[in-house]
Amino acid sequence: MNKIANVAEGPAIETVQINVEVNGVAYTRYVEPRLLLSDFLRQELGLTGTHVGCEHGVCGSCNVMVDGSTVRSCLVFASQLDNAKIETVESLGRVNALHPLQKAFWEKHGLQCGFCTPGMLMTAKELLDRNPRPTRDEIREAISGNLCRCTGYQTIIEAIYSAAYEMQGATNG
Amino acid sequence: MKPAPFRLERPDTIQALCRALAKHGDSARILAGGQSLVPMMNFRLVTPEVLIDINRVDGLDYIRLDGDALAIGAMTRHVTVKESALVKANVPLIAKAYDHIAHVTVRNRGTIGGNLSHGDPSSELPAVAICLDAKFVVSSSEGNRTVRAAEFFKGMFETDVSPGEFLSEIRFPVAARNQRFGFDEFSPRHGDFAIAIATVALEMKGDTCVSASVVHGGVREMPGQVADAEAALRGKVVSGEQVALAAKATASIEPTLQNYHGDAAYKSDLLRALTARALSQAIGEG
Amino acid sequence: MAKESHFLEMSRQEEQPRSKYNWIGKSMKRVEDPRLLTGKGKYIDDIELPRMAHAAVMRSPHAHARIVSIDTSKAKKLPGVLLVMTGKEAAEVTGPTASFASPPVTQWAIATDRVRHVGEPVAAVVAESRYIAEDAIDLIEVQYEELPPVVDPRDAITSTGDAVLHPERGDNNVAMHRILNFGPLAEDFAKADHVVKRNLRWSRVAGMPMETAGAVVDYDEGTGKFTIYANTSMYNYVGWLIAVSLKVSASQVNIIPTLAGGSFGSKLFLHKVPTIAATLARAVGRPVKFIEDRMDNIMSSDNHASDRIYEAELAVKDGMMTGLRFKVIDDYGAYLQYGYGTHGNALSQVTGPYKIRSVGMELTAVFTNKGQQGAYRGFGSEVANFVLERLVDAAAAELGEDPTAFRERNLIEPDQFPYKIPTGNVYDSGDYPAVLKQAKTMLDYDGWRKKQAELRKQGRYIGIGVATCQERSVFSSTEFWFLNPNETPGFTLTSSPEGIQVKIDPTGKAFATINAPFWGNSPETMVVQILAEHLTMDPADISVSYADSDAGLNGTGPGGSRYTVMIAGAITGAAKKIKTKLLKVASHMLEADVGDLELVDGHVSVKGTNQKKSIPEIALHAHYFRLSMPLEDRELTSGIDATHVYDHPFTTMPKEDRSDLGVFYPIMGNMCHMPVVEVDIETGRISFLDYVAVHDAGTVVNPMTLKGHIRGGTAAGIGTAIYEHLHYDKAGQLTTASFADYLIPTAFEVPQDVRAGHVETPSPFTEFGIKGGGEGGRMGAPAAIASAVEDALRPMGIRVESLPISPRALREKIRESERLKA
Ligand SMILES: Cc1cc2nc3c(=O)[nH]c(=O)nc-3n(C[C@H](O)[C@H](O)[C@H](O)COP(=O)(O)OP(=O)(O)OC[C@H]3O[C@@H](n4cnc5c(N)ncnc54)[C@H](O)[C@@H]3O)c2cc1C
Ligand code: FES
Ligand code: FES
Repeated sequence: MNKIANVAEGPAIETVQINVEVNGVAYTRYVEPRLLLSDFLRQELGLTGTHVGCEHGVCGSCNVMVDGSTVRSCLVFASQLDNAKIETVESLGRVNALHPLQKAFWEKHGLQCGFCTPGMLMTAKELLDRNPRPTRDEIREAISGNLCRCTGYQTIIEAIYSAAYEMQGATNG
Repeated sequence: MKPAPFRLERPDTIQALCRALAKHGDSARILAGGQSLVPMMNFRLVTPEVLIDINRVDGLDYIRLDGDALAIGAMTRHVTVKESALVKANVPLIAKAYDHIAHVTVRNRGTIGGNLSHGDPSSELPAVAICLDAKFVVSSSEGNRTVRAAEFFKGMFETDVSPGEFLSEIRFPVAARNQRFGFDEFSPRHGDFAIAIATVALEMKGDTCVSASVVHGGVREMPGQVADAEAALRGKVVSGEQVALAAKATASIEPTLQNYHGDAAYKSDLLRALTARALSQAIGEG
Repeated sequence: MAKESHFLEMSRQEEQPRSKYNWIGKSMKRVEDPRLLTGKGKYIDDIELPRMAHAAVMRSPHAHARIVSIDTSKAKKLPGVLLVMTGKEAAEVTGPTASFASPPVTQWAIATDRVRHVGEPVAAVVAESRYIAEDAIDLIEVQYEELPPVVDPRDAITSTGDAVLHPERGDNNVAMHRILNFGPLAEDFAKADHVVKRNLRWSRVAGMPMETAGAVVDYDEGTGKFTIYANTSMYNYVGWLIAVSLKVSASQVNIIPTLAGGSFGSKLFLHKVPTIAATLARAVGRPVKFIEDRMDNIMSSDNHASDRIYEAELAVKDGMMTGLRFKVIDDYGAYLQYGYGTHGNALSQVTGPYKIRSVGMELTAVFTNKGQQGAYRGFGSEVANFVLERLVDAAAAELGEDPTAFRERNLIEPDQFPYKIPTGNVYDSGDYPAVLKQAKTMLDYDGWRKKQAELRKQGRYIGIGVATCQERSVFSSTEFWFLNPNETPGFTLTSSPEGIQVKIDPTGKAFATINAPFWGNSPETMVVQILAEHLTMDPADISVSYADSDAGLNGTGPGGSRYTVMIAGAITGAAKKIKTKLLKVASHMLEADVGDLELVDGHVSVKGTNQKKSIPEIALHAHYFRLSMPLEDRELTSGIDATHVYDHPFTTMPKEDRSDLGVFYPIMGNMCHMPVVEVDIETGRISFLDYVAVHDAGTVVNPMTLKGHIRGGTAAGIGTAIYEHLHYDKAGQLTTASFADYLIPTAFEVPQDVRAGHVETPSPFTEFGIKGGGEGGRMGAPAAIASAVEDALRPMGIRVESLPISPRALREKIRESERLKA
């Protein structure tokens, strides 16, 4: 562990060094052990696409991918993630080059306020990585840990379902 | 909702873990998947001085057959257990219970050892462990000791793991051919902790039940055996009538764990219904 | 009551409904979405200013207590802490928060000497990080002297002594008691051949958006000006009240709206959070971010919703409902920010879609030691829908009639509009039988009834629910105050406008600036579709932004299902001005008479010829070629721009004695919800087998987004009906203060397919005949689900009288019924 003064007027806070790859970019950072991954991404790296809705693991707004699996970024400390590969919603598509999932959410009206959306997208991405042709029931199961207060979920399920077919179509032919 | 400061230890080996535990004693907490501990830290209900992150410790993440037991390393993630063919084939009751545990993202990170060490009476796994008479391997720099499930749980959020120790392995007896299992629970929403749980393991000889293990969960500070229900089944041909009698016998369990979502009367009702359903499932009529 | 055609003369409608549109009525993809989908949407917590510090608030653990002393010395010494401020210290510089109640209820953003609910702020900390701010809170020592908590609203009526929350307002906890009767009430009850009575309970829930409330405030000591970023609404309506609290002039507060991650009313006029952040920023001399965490938000975001106990009666004569009367106690919690607006609101449609001719209300509003009420999708009218529909179902059941047949007979008929209801409000238009009929057809109501009977023989409990409800839209501000005491009505405002600014840039693209925030609805998409319709432009050539309060025109913002109707009015006004200018410039370019020109397909052309100029050509000319146009035309200025502020399309004043409340919510939507549920009688679980929701929101601008409101609102209504409850125990502790206990439905608790249908009865008062639909399914779902569950358990004689019908609560009823049978 290192001891460095990391805030101007603050105390010497014990920090730990982590090397992480986030959305393909390598970072070396010294972080306070208690810094939540959600705060690390949002505050240290400026990746504000990851949203924080409850900070107690229930809403799923903060879901990001760590080493290929989703985690609640509000329930993991950045200090635990040395050498991890992290992907956030910013890794999917860009405004002018949407990922098929983002496109499908757009077309099927799978979002209203958009606050749950990054977490939903990452959860959906994980599902399709593991199961490229899910049934609607499998999709429902997969997103059941993500709360959405706006949509009633139906259009989210449709969006993921149609994205799966879109993506399959693209790879099959 | 940010956690209080703590110091972090990141041991890589079991030896280093033992040393860290010995060094910090009761000022330290083990951090496994963090899916129960970190919410409590974010609420500042728990403010450990030292956190010993065991995610990097080698040799705690495995599922293997070992004699007549299926041994699962404490740091095996829920997702691994849930999807394991070895588990499905050898301890089918665990697989049944996992249909009710949390959500995919929580299961990706949470561990079976963390779950059982947490000692949450509303969790599925403690009830299953008691039902199957699983053995818990508790380790420290002094060596290993083995504890029966029924003795491992000491109370709500309390286990037999003392400062300086950790849970390293859980050993579930491999199901015998003549064993039948059932699991059911009620939770208000999909994936929530249970308000009540019933889980059963029956040893059958033909249609007759030779021995029965009927366990409740979520209704008292600890899951436990429903002796009267077991008695109602033992030595009987298990039919609808017997199922009803056994379910009725759960009335002897007085629910003491109450909250907004479940008062005593409701939990009693649930326990009766769920026991019947778990039994029907076990005998293939559910 | 009869058709009141004279009201039509008051219509200011300029754009009549058309049989064909270019863009209105299309399920256009939302223009808001790409940035939200890519993580580029800027929500409040995404705002970061240089040197920004972070605030956290210490909250009362007690429901009711006097603050004896606060010791902040340890907290102040913690490295990284910049400021610790108690309520008393804050009150030296910042006044009480705004109250729309009359007489007002004094409330401080941070409590000064007394806390009145669990979670009420008692001190605030500013630190280098939120982590350190929370560390400091743990070091603040507060000594409380506990006072008796008032939790049961019935007890509140008789509270005395220390249990009285606001002694300066009287010696008990009754905030107001008021009786209002409309129509021949006594006669209707005297002549009734059947009177239905029910005691009903609607419990406390909240909008609970996924994003909490927050603010980032920068204070410029040199100019004395606050720049406030916040996810609040109504900032161009009553935002200046924050300046009043801060004791500065309105021009010294600029409020910049951010995207809101949902509101559902909860952020309607979010002011306490920005006020706290501003107070701290001024004191500490650095920008301050204060974002509620979920605990803060559940306990104390001024957003709890109606919490009511009803004794209600319905008079029926010859199968026709005639009179409705009720006593209602409403538990407003510890303060009263919006007065009794939720009851004013409910009186706009209290008789539902039915020909009920008299109404009596006895309202007792009380204070208790709970979070204060705010707004939530329905603003009290969803409760009135539930109450009325429970009575209607009861009447049908007691008279032995099918609930849809009973309703059908009692519905206002399509040729009776505009229809004045007893309270004075007017329903503009509707076709209620058509809505009911479509729902029945879509559900296959008769088919389900047969299936229900068959399954009942197998011991399954299937229920078919029905609710035919109103969704009033476009509030008029009179509802906020007309229930205040006649002698002290308070600030009797009568405006609730909505403004827009539209510019055509030199390249011919349109740029609109609106004066209300995005909070999950689709304001940009609505503007693009409606403006494209008016200007015959390609939607891709229109963009939209949000004005801050410095630049803003009047704008009331979303709420009460008003935004689409109101912005359509504003757009219509602005587009007319833009069109006039386009024609004028084109007339000079084409050397033709304005009267001979028309705007078609993005071009101004001379009628009957092929001479034309495109909007980009005209725009360029208008911006840069003033000398090429006649100088005599003095009014012709460079550029193309217009602003327009649209006032409520049709509202009138209440009578002084409140015997008639005037027209205050006339743009009337209607809906029929029909869920089919199954009850597991052993566990009390309710599951959905089918769900049909037919809505009439007048002319539909975007069917896809309207369906979104119907389905999303239905999911929220399911939460209200079955899962959610802000439950306080006897000590006034909130026992459901986390997302693990406050149960928002997941994808598993909602129907797999809420089959939504539309009937379109255009309004004669609004532009294009649009009605509001934002509050959506939540207006009808709780009533419909209660109906379905009661129907399922009819063989047991169980009544659903209290929400939420949680599995526990339902099982309790079933157990009782089983016990009686045994
Ligand atoms: C939204 C949500 C829903 C959930 N739903 C369910 C559910 O339905 N059913 C259910 O059972 N669980 C549920 N959980 C909890 C989940 O199963 C957790 O993973 C589990 O309870 C704890 O495991 P963990 O590995 O995350 O342990 P941690 O949270 O890291 O630790 C839990 C406790 O155990 C101690 N500990 C951990 N490992 C050891 C060890 N090897 N030896 C000694 N002590 C140790 C820790 O110090 C801590 O006190 C849910 C969680 C969330 C966030
Ligand atoms: S913010 Fe992480 S689960 Fe809600
Ligand atoms: S879109 Fe608003 S919470 Fe899901």
